[in-house]
Amino acid sequence: MASKKNCDKVTVSADYLRNIEKKVEDLETIIEVSSIISSTLDYNKLISIVMEKAKHIMQAEACSILQFDKELNRIVFEFAITGQRVTSNALKDKVTLDMGQGIAGWVAEHLEPVVIKDVYLDERFYREADKLNNFKTKSLIAVPLVGRRGLLGVAMIINPKDKSHFSDYDAGIFQTLCVQISTAIENSRFYTESVQMEKFRQGLEIASVLQKSFLPETPIFKKGNLHVSAANIPAEKVGGDIYDFIEPVNGSIGVLVGDVSGKGISAALYMAKIISDFRYKSKMIEYPEVVFKRLNTGLSNSPMGMFLTASYFVVDVKTGHFSVSTAGHPPFLWVTKSDVRVMDIPSGPPLGILSYEYTSSDFSLKSGDSLLILTDGVFDAKNPKGERLGFERLVAHVKEYRQKETLVQAIIDFVNDFSNGAEKSDDITLVELKWQ
Amino acid sequence: MKIDTTVHSGYTAISIAGEIDMYSSPALRDTLLTMAKKKEAIVIINLKDVKYIDSSGIATFVEALKKMLSYGGKLKMAQVPDRVMEIFNFSKLDKVFDIYGSIEDAANS
Repeated sequence: MASKKNCDKVTVSADYLRNIEKKVEDLETIIEVSSIISSTLDYNKLISIVMEKAKHIMQAEACSILQFDKELNRIVFEFAITGQRVTSNALKDKVTLDMGQGIAGWVAEHLEPVVIKDVYLDERFYREADKLNNFKTKSLIAVPLVGRRGLLGVAMIINPKDKSHFSDYDAGIFQTLCVQISTAIENSRFYTESVQMEKFRQGLEIASVLQKSFLPETPIFKKGNLHVSAANIPAEKVGGDIYDFIEPVNGSIGVLVGDVSGKGISAALYMAKIISDFRYKSKMIEYPEVVFKRLNTGLSNSPMGMFLTASYFVVDVKTGHFSVSTAGHPPFLWVTKSDVRVMDIPSGPPLGILSYEYTSSDFSLKSGDSLLILTDGVFDAKNPKGERLGFERLVAHVKEYRQKETLVQAIIDFVNDFSNGAEKSDDITLVELKWQ
Repeated sequence: MKIDTTVHSGYTAISIAGEIDMYSSPALRDTLLTMAKKKEAIVIINLKDVKYIDSSGIATFVEALKKMLSYGGKLKMAQVPDRVMEIFNFSKLDKVFDIYGSIEDAANS
């Protein structure tokens, strides 16, 4: 046993010890970088610290990170640290490289790290960055930064202070650090995206409330013998369907139902403009075709070809007589005690496309009659198999349930049952005009 | 959606295949607005292989039509499938677009 103890004594050189100490220090720095990464999600702060640590551990003069711009398919200088200063401004937005261009471009394209002893002997080296940065690159290690969603960028460590070029050991350490840098970049991107998503979601909530404020305060309206009830369900938070009830002249009620082309925010904004235009241009006018002509002129310079399909009814609340104009809008349904008629009256093109002389058609309601005006989202509703409800099937259903007191709700229930949880592809609007 | 542009003597034909909706229409818009920018005299859209078009897609054609009309250009539609024609008829867009049975008819009109 005594002789074994003697054998445990080993003599090592000072160089060997320094080497071991360096490795321990390197490992400690890697652990430190790892804890920094999990402590903050501030991308700029994080990358500056990590790069500073990388420069220190590698005993290097400079460190830089280039980000991959997926849309442009180029890599862009994001950060560069030389000496004590961050020189990102000198290179940012000024130096961008094609895939394959320069050493960083080559690394990004091939997804392989490189260790270069003398860059000026390497034909891939892009000298412009040195000129802009007033710096002389000699030796470097370049490593691709790869995350779960693919290439993020390229990290480079430049010019060792204590020797002429980097060793394979240095390359190994830098690659380990780069795995952490990739995680840091990806984490902070996920965080930024989630913050942006949350901001967007909050903005949409506000837009949704604002948009509802453009519609009539209550979906039910009664004047004389006319009873109006409506439902509006946007496919997304906001939508492009419109309905409005107004009193254009004494004793008349005007009911507009419309559908702006497109969906979402652009349609919602355009809908807000149209409803303001409509309220202004329909004042004191009892002829729907005149209102349409005025609206059509106002919408003729619509952005990106946007247009409005609409039907506008002006009903005399004493007599039940009504005039209606249609602009590319689906037929309305006339529900009587014994039947349901599809009212495909002469129609002009949608509003906002071309100059057109709209006409109107005149009818009279009898006691118990209802008019059902809808947007195409009602009969375009899809079920989980992707089949559309269709206009014919909708009409058949209305025929079956025409005696229901709450026809609007009965149709909404029918559409919901048909959709059976399938995602709504379009806004749904239904308005019933009932003559009691 | 797939867009295929071919230049012929006297007109440019754009063949579209697939669905023209909110997501695919920006690519179509780029193609059509480039035509309008170059002040192409006659553009014929071949809709034979279009499976579906929504109102965003229609608005894209409306925008191109308005731009082309402003310099005297013509945007014509050819080989419109029944399902698309139903949407055009329903929305009275047959009053907006010049629609032809074939590319040849559109070119010779």
